[in-house]
Formats: sequence, C-alpha cells, structure tokens
Amino acid sequence: MAEKKPAPKFLNLIKIKLPPGGIVSIGHRISGVLMFLSIPFIAWEFDRSLESEQGFRGVQECLQSTPVILLSVILAWALSHHLLAGVRHLFLDVDLGVDKNCATISAWLVNIGALLMAAVYAASLL
Amino acid sequence: MSRAAQGLRAWLLQRFTAIYLAAYLIVVITIIFRTEAFTYQEWRSGLSGPWMSVSTTLFALALLLHVWVGIRDVLIDYIHAVWLRLLFMAGTALVLLGSLLWVMRAITLAAMGTG
Repeated sequence: MAEKKPAPKFLNLIKIKLPPGGIVSIGHRISGVLMFLSIPFIAWEFDRSLESEQGFRGVQECLQSTPVILLSVILAWALSHHLLAGVRHLFLDVDLGVDKNCATISAWLVNIGALLMAAVYAASLL
Repeated sequence: MSRAAQGLRAWLLQRFTAIYLAAYLIVVITIIFRTEAFTYQEWRSGLSGPWMSVSTTLFALALLLHVWVGIRDVLIDYIHAVWLRLLFMAGTALVLLGSLLWVMRAITLAAMGTG
C-alpha cells in the first residue's frame, strides 16, 4: 500500500481567491451570526424604550454614542448583505439566474450593493 | 416524521419566514425613515395598535424560527464535538426564547397601557 500523502494545507486566507458567489455565501453566514448576537441587546433596548419615558430617552442617548453608531453601521451592512443575498438565494431556488454569467453578476450586485447601502446609512447619520 | 422530511421542513420554514421578515423590515424601515423624530407617546401608541403589535410579535416569532434554522446549520458545520455543539444549541435556544418572550412582554404591557 502506498504511503499516505499528507493532506495539502493551503489555508492562507489572503491567498485563497474566493469567487464572488463564495463571498456572498460567507458574507451571508457572517452577517447572520452578527445579527443573531445583537438580538438580546436589541430586545433589551426595545423593552426599555417602551417601558417609560425615561427609558425611551436613555435608548435615544445610547443610540447617539459613538461605539453604538459604529455597531449600527456594521449591522446595517449585515442586514443589507443578508437581505440581498437572501433574495438572490430565493431566485436561485426557483432556477432564476442560475447560468454562470447571471450568477456572477448578481453576486457582485449583492456584495457591492450591501456595502453601498451601509455607506448610504452611515452618510444619513452625518 | 422522517429525517429527510425534517430537512425539507426546515428548508421551507427558512424561506417562508425569510419572506415575512423581509416584507416587515422593508415596510417598517420605510416608515421609520420617513418619520421625523418621534416622541415617546408616538412610539408607544404606534406599537400598541392591533396591526403593529400583532405584526411585530409575528416578526419576533418568525425571526426566532429563522435564526434557529440558520444558527443550527452553522453550528453543525463548524462544531464537531457533539457535547459542545449541544451546549451551543442550548445556549442559542435560551437566548432566542428569552428574547422573544422579552419582546412579547414589552409589546403586551405597552398595548395594555400599564407598562
């Protein structure tokens, strides 16, 4: 029996060239996990905003602090990417836009569209 | 239910909830961005009406199901030690159920005007 060759290890993340569809896919995961992690905090602040006038003002102040603004821009990207990638996924599910050209173009639209939407959101805060 | 049918059920659930979540978010985000700064009273009465309170509670429920299916897939893909995976799944379920009940409580109290 031939000697077992060691499995090739090439996990240099900078050198792996992910196709646009791959970026859509890993972005869909990362954005989903990020939004999941934000759920308990959003639920907490949502409750605080409804409970009393004082709580409502507390949430408004919290939303104007710099770290929360930065987090909200990241979440704006996450939501945009997840939504756009999800819509693309639903179209692919029903066999729309499956050919290679179409799928590559839609993948670019998702990747760049999400960044643009986050940029528009960030600009709206200025 | 067979294992294959369970997979199909999760797959369908993921897509139906996705459509509701997207529709709700697009409508609500549009409303919020078109409204100038609102007061506490407006925020609270806006969420207390039958349409907003029911659709928001439904949103929280759909979100729980959607996130459960998604995070479960991620955990199955990346965490191979069974005990650790179960631990993360239990934690996820706890966070999601706790958040859902927290939001439902807040909406109910606001709608009853006693919060």
